[in-house]
Amino acid sequence: MMLAQQETNLPPTISIKNLSIDYKAKRGQVQAVRNISFEVDRGEAMALIGESGSGKTTIGLGVVGLLPPTAKIRQGEIIYRRAADGKIVDEIDVLKLNPQQIRQFRWKECAMVFQGALNAFNPVLRISDQFADTASAHNALRGMALKERATEILHMVRLDADRVWRSYPHELSGGMRQRVLIALSLLLEPQLIIMDEPTTALDVLTQRNIMDVLKDLRKNLNFSLIFISHDLSLAAELADKVSTVYAGKIVELGDVYTVFRNPYHPYTIGLIHAVPTLAGRKEDLTSIPGSPPDLINMPTGCKFHPRCPLADDQCKTQEPDLEEIGKGHRVACWKWQTARETLKRFKAS
Amino acid sequence: MTAGEVTQPKPQGFRIQDLPGKIWSNYVLRRIVRALVIIWLITTIIFFVIRLMPGNAFDLMVADMVVNRNMTEDEAKIRASSLLRINFNRPIGEQYLEYMSNLAKGDLGYSFINNNRTVQELLAQKLPWTLFSVGTSLMISFTLGMLLGMIAAYKRGSWLDHLITNFAAAMDAIPQYIYAIVLVLLLGVIWKIMPVMDMKGVLSPGIKPGFTFEFIWDALMHLRVPAFVYVLSTVGNWALSMKSSTLSTLGEDYVTVARARGLSDSRIITSYVGRNASLPLVTALALSVGFALGGSVVIESVFNYPGIGLELSKSLSNRDYPMLQGIFLITTTSVIFTNLIADLIYGWLDPRIRIAGGE
Amino acid sequence: MDAISTIFKEIWKTLRLIAMNKMGLLGFIMIIFFILMSFVGPYVVAPDLQAHVKEINQGPSVKHPLGTDFQGKDNLVQIVHGGRDILTIAFLAGLMTTFIAVLVGSFSAFFGGMVDTVLMEITNFWITIPKFPILVIVASTAKLTNLWLLALLLAMLSWGGFARQVRSQILSLKKREYVEAAQLLNLGPLHIIFREMLPNMMPFIATSLIFAMTSAIYSQTSLVFLGLVPFSGSNWGIMLSSAFAKGALYQKDAIWSVIAPVGAIALFQLSLVWFSRSLEEVFNPRLRSGV
Repeated sequence: MMLAQQETNLPPTISIKNLSIDYKAKRGQVQAVRNISFEVDRGEAMALIGESGSGKTTIGLGVVGLLPPTAKIRQGEIIYRRAADGKIVDEIDVLKLNPQQIRQFRWKECAMVFQGALNAFNPVLRISDQFADTASAHNALRGMALKERATEILHMVRLDADRVWRSYPHELSGGMRQRVLIALSLLLEPQLIIMDEPTTALDVLTQRNIMDVLKDLRKNLNFSLIFISHDLSLAAELADKVSTVYAGKIVELGDVYTVFRNPYHPYTIGLIHAVPTLAGRKEDLTSIPGSPPDLINMPTGCKFHPRCPLADDQCKTQEPDLEEIGKGHRVACWKWQTARETLKRFKAS
Repeated sequence: MTAGEVTQPKPQGFRIQDLPGKIWSNYVLRRIVRALVIIWLITTIIFFVIRLMPGNAFDLMVADMVVNRNMTEDEAKIRASSLLRINFNRPIGEQYLEYMSNLAKGDLGYSFINNNRTVQELLAQKLPWTLFSVGTSLMISFTLGMLLGMIAAYKRGSWLDHLITNFAAAMDAIPQYIYAIVLVLLLGVIWKIMPVMDMKGVLSPGIKPGFTFEFIWDALMHLRVPAFVYVLSTVGNWALSMKSSTLSTLGEDYVTVARARGLSDSRIITSYVGRNASLPLVTALALSVGFALGGSVVIESVFNYPGIGLELSKSLSNRDYPMLQGIFLITTTSVIFTNLIADLIYGWLDPRIRIAGGE
Repeated sequence: MDAISTIFKEIWKTLRLIAMNKMGLLGFIMIIFFILMSFVGPYVVAPDLQAHVKEINQGPSVKHPLGTDFQGKDNLVQIVHGGRDILTIAFLAGLMTTFIAVLVGSFSAFFGGMVDTVLMEITNFWITIPKFPILVIVASTAKLTNLWLLALLLAMLSWGGFARQVRSQILSLKKREYVEAAQLLNLGPLHIIFREMLPNMMPFIATSLIFAMTSAIYSQTSLVFLGLVPFSGSNWGIMLSSAFAKGALYQKDAIWSVIAPVGAIALFQLSLVWFSRSLEEVFNPRLRSGV
C-alpha cells in the first residue's frame, strides 16, 4: 500500500485514446469499439461492464495485440508506461510495436487472464513446463529460481504448489486451473493485468474463492487491473473505477462508489437494477428490455435509444458524447439530469 | 480449502476377482489384452473359414487338385491336410487345437505351388520388401501431409490453402493404380525420363542383398516410383486430416493464451498446436498401415515388386490357400500390432488418457 | 404433398447454395453429365462390337475423338457404354454403407451402455483389420457376377468409420431439447431415431453417402483392374485392365486407350469430391472460408 501511495503521482499505467476497432464480416463492418478513451492509474482497478457483444473483450485483446486477423484498428493509441523506483522508465505506444516487440510486451508488461479459461493450458504439458515456457519466452527465471517464484505465487492464490507444479491440467479442477492461470499471470510481475470474465463458467463457491484471491492480490501486490465483466456486483467488489460499455462505446465512467450510488445513464441504472441480490425479491429485478444493437447496422443517434424509455427525437438523431458531470464522473446521455427520477416514476406506474 | 480437491486413492488389499478390473483400468495392459484377443478372434475366424464354411478353402483346394492335378479325392485330401498342417480326419476340436498350436509355433504350413517351401519361409522373404516400401512411403507421406495440412490451416482462406485443400481432396479420391499408370506413362513413355525397367522389381540384375551402399542405393532407386505412387495416393488424406485437426486446435483457448503469454511462434507451432493437432493422426497412421498393405496388392502388381501384395495376387490365381491364409494372418497381425504400438504412443503423447495416479 | 414440396424447396435451396461455390457447381454438372452419359448414352450411341484390324491403337481423330484400342474399337463408345455398372455399384454400395453405418451408429449412441460398448468394440475391430485383402480373397473365391452382391460386399467392408461418425453425431443430437422432449413423451426409440434425429443429420448423411460412393468406386475399379471381378461387356476398369495387359503402357500409340478410362474414372471421382466438399460447406457454415 505504501508503494501505491508514492506512485499515485505518476502518470497512468495505461492511457487509451480514441480507440476504434472494426471487424470485417460478410455482411459488413462490425464496429466493435468506437472511439473509446480511458486511463488506468498505478495500482488502480478499472472495471469494464457491459453485456456480451458490447466490445469489452475486444478492448482487452487490442491492448495485448491479439485481435483476430479480421479486426482492424481504425484509429487511436494505447500508451503503456512502465515505472520503476518511483519514476517512469519507459513509455510504449503498443500499436506501434513490431511483432517481436509486442511478443515481449505480452505477459512481461501486460498479462491477460482469459474468459472461461478452463481450457487455458496445453493439455499435454505439465504445469511446470508451461511456467517454464512462459519464463523462457521472456528470458526470465529458470531452474530453481523459477520453481521458487512459482511456489510463491501459487501460494498467493492458495494452491498446494508442489502438487500443482507436477500436475497435468486435466488433473486440476476448473477453479484450480483458473487460480493457476492467475498465478501464472503474476510470474513476470507485469504492471498491468487484464482479466476477462475470470470467474465466468465457474460455480458460485469457486467464484467466491477466486474473488477472495483477487482481492488479496490487489491488497498485497501493486499492479494495475482492467477487469472485464458483465457482472456489476463483482466489479463493485474489486474495482476502483467502473466504465459501462454499450455498443462499443463507454457511456458512463466514474469511481465505483459514485457510479453505484448515483448512476446517471439509463443503461447503467438498468444494469444496477438487474443485479439480483440474495436478499432481494425477484420482482425487484427489472432487466433491461430489448437486446443489444446489431453492431453492423447500428441505430442512429444514441445507440441505446431503441431500448431506452426516455428516448426522444434528439436521442434518435444525435449521439451524445461523454460529458463531465462531477469529479471524474462522466456520462454520455442527453437526459442524464432527469434519467433517474423519470425511470423511478416509470417503474412505479 | 487448499488441497481439498485432491482425491486420495482408497487403500485396498489384493483380491483375485479384482484382477480383470485392474487390468481393464490400466491403459497399457488393457490395450495389450485387447490386441491379443483380436488376434485370437481372427485366427479362429480363419480356421472356421478354411474348414467349416460351405465352399470353404479346404474343399475348394481338394476339388481343385482333383480336377487340375488328376488326383483321387483321398489323395487330394491327404495332400491338402499336409499342406495346411491340419489332420482333417480328427474331430473338429482337435483340429482347432492342432491349428492353434501350429500357429503358436510359427508353423503356417506349406505353399501349394512352391514345392516344399514353408509359408513362413516365403513370407519372411517377401514381407521385408513390403514393409520397406510401405514404411518408407508412409513416413514420407505422413510428414509431407502434416506439413501441408498445417500450412493450409495457418494460411486459412488464402490461395495457398485453396490450392492445398482442393488438390488434397482430389488426390485422395483417385485410385492408386491410376497414379501408377499415369506415372509410368509420363516418366517412362512420354517424357522418357527413366527407363521403365528401372521402375520395376526391387533390384537391378546382379545386385546382391547385404549392407552395402550399392544394395541400399539400388533398392531405393527401384522404390522411387512405387513410393511416389503410395505418397500421391495417401498424402491428400493426411493433409486434409491435419488441416481440420489444426484448425480445431488453433481455436482452442490454450493457443490464444500461449500467444498472450508471449511464447514464440515456433514454440506455439510445435508444442502447442502441432503436438495437439497430430494426436488424432497417430491413431489414423496405424489404421493406414492396413490400408497401405492393401494398396500394396495393386502397386506391387503394377511394378512387379516382389512383396506380400504381389504374392497375394499370385497365390490367388494359383489357389494357394496355405499361402493366402499365411498372408492374411501376417498382414492382420502386423496391423493389429501397429495399432497397439500407436495406442501406446498415443498414451505417452496424451497424458489425459493415462489413468490418473498410474505413475 | 406438403412434405414433398418442402423437400423440393430444401433441395432447391441447397442447389442454389452449391451453385455459389464454383467447384461444387462444376462437380454437380459433371455428375449429371456422367449419369446422362452412362444411362442414356448407350441408347443413343451404338456399341462397337467388332474389331477393326485397320484402326488399331489410333490417336484422337474426328472419327474417333478418344482414339481406338488394341482391337480398333472406338474408345469414346466404350467409355459411354462402360459407366453404367460402375455408377450403379457405387450408388448401391454407397447406400448400403450409409444404411449399415446409420443403423449401427444410431443404435450404439442411442441405447448406450452395454449395447454401445459391444457395438463399438465390433466396429473398432472391423476398422482395424485390413480390408482390401479380404475383398480380394472374397472377390476371387466367390464369383461376383452380380452387381448387388459386389455392392453389398463393398458396403460390408467400409461401414466402420462412418458408423463411428454417426454415433458421435447422434450423441450430440441426444442432448438437444427437442430430442429430450421426445424422450419425455415416451415416443419410442425408433420414432426418435428416425423421425427426430435422422432428419437433422441429413446433411451429414448426404456427404457420407457421396464419400462412400467414392470409396466404392476406388475399391471396385481396383478389383476390376486386378482382374478379380469378371464383368462382361465394357466397363472403364476392364478397358484399363485389358489395355494394361496388352502392354499399352509401353507403346506410345496405345496411350489413348489408357488415358480414356483413366480420365473417366478420375473425372467422375473428382466431380463427386468437389460436389461433396461444397455440400459440406453449405451444411457446415464454419467451413466457409473468410469468417
